[in-house]
Amino acid sequence: MSEVQRRKYTQEERTAIFDGEFMPHIDSMYNFAFRLTFDEDDAKDLVQDTYMKAFRFINSFEQGTNAKAWLFRILKNSFINEYRKKSKQPAKVDYQEVETFYNSDDVDYQSTTDLRAESVKDMLGDEISNALNALAVDFRTVIILADLEGFTYEEMAKILDIPIGTVRSRLHRARNLLKDKLKGYAQSMGYNTDEEEE
Amino acid sequence: MEINNQSSGERKLQCNDVTRCFQLLESILDGDLGENGKEVLKEKLDKCQPCFEHFHLEQAIREVLKTKCTKQPVPTELADSIRQMIQESK
Repeated sequence: MSEVQRRKYTQEERTAIFDGEFMPHIDSMYNFAFRLTFDEDDAKDLVQDTYMKAFRFINSFEQGTNAKAWLFRILKNSFINEYRKKSKQPAKVDYQEVETFYNSDDVDYQSTTDLRAESVKDMLGDEISNALNALAVDFRTVIILADLEGFTYEEMAKILDIPIGTVRSRLHRARNLLKDKLKGYAQSMGYNTDEEEE
Repeated sequence: MEINNQSSGERKLQCNDVTRCFQLLESILDGDLGENGKEVLKEKLDKCQPCFEHFHLEQAIREVLKTKCTKQPVPTELADSIRQMIQESK
């Protein structure tokens, strides 16, 4: 994602790129925005802003490169710069503080967890979603990008502006935290939830 | 994936290098090693119980995240309002 200005697209090309390469990702974009903000209106504004910026800076998008990653990067930056400040959900972790903590890429890999693959498979969508939503935004983000949206380490590094090693270690930490939450669920119930689906 | 069919009795119960192994397994699951990972993976899963368990747990977590997370329906008017804003900005 270089900032180098390529030749300018014509009006027709811009419309074609916008409709053909940008708009098809609106579903993923909205869901990403919602998982960051937990608010429908904020998510809508964030997606709208992102698309406006994408259109304005369309000349810095290189055709043939990954439009989805390009859009996600704009959305994530908009979120950090604008929404995080006014978001109803206060950021649980200070970004700077988290970064210094992350930047040691040494991570403890231990086989201590007594969570079983089988009990994970039995969990309900709501339990999985709740566990994910309970993570601090930076951890939540890497899991969304990797597991829900299928981005590679390399794409994630570009979206988040961090080295690949940091992507790997942050993702590992995020999944460990998620495992802790899921372990809590697994212990607290025998999978007979009485809650009614609305 | 046919990795469930070995008896666990043949696997060692202690992993000698948990950090390296688990990191490797996670990279494989995340698709970061491509085809290179396949052989290493088979070796690990056949011979090491902690690796075997870690792999299956990590795989299950990725799978449920991918398939079970509740999706938010996109507001119907969002796409139109974006197009309109673009139109007005031209």
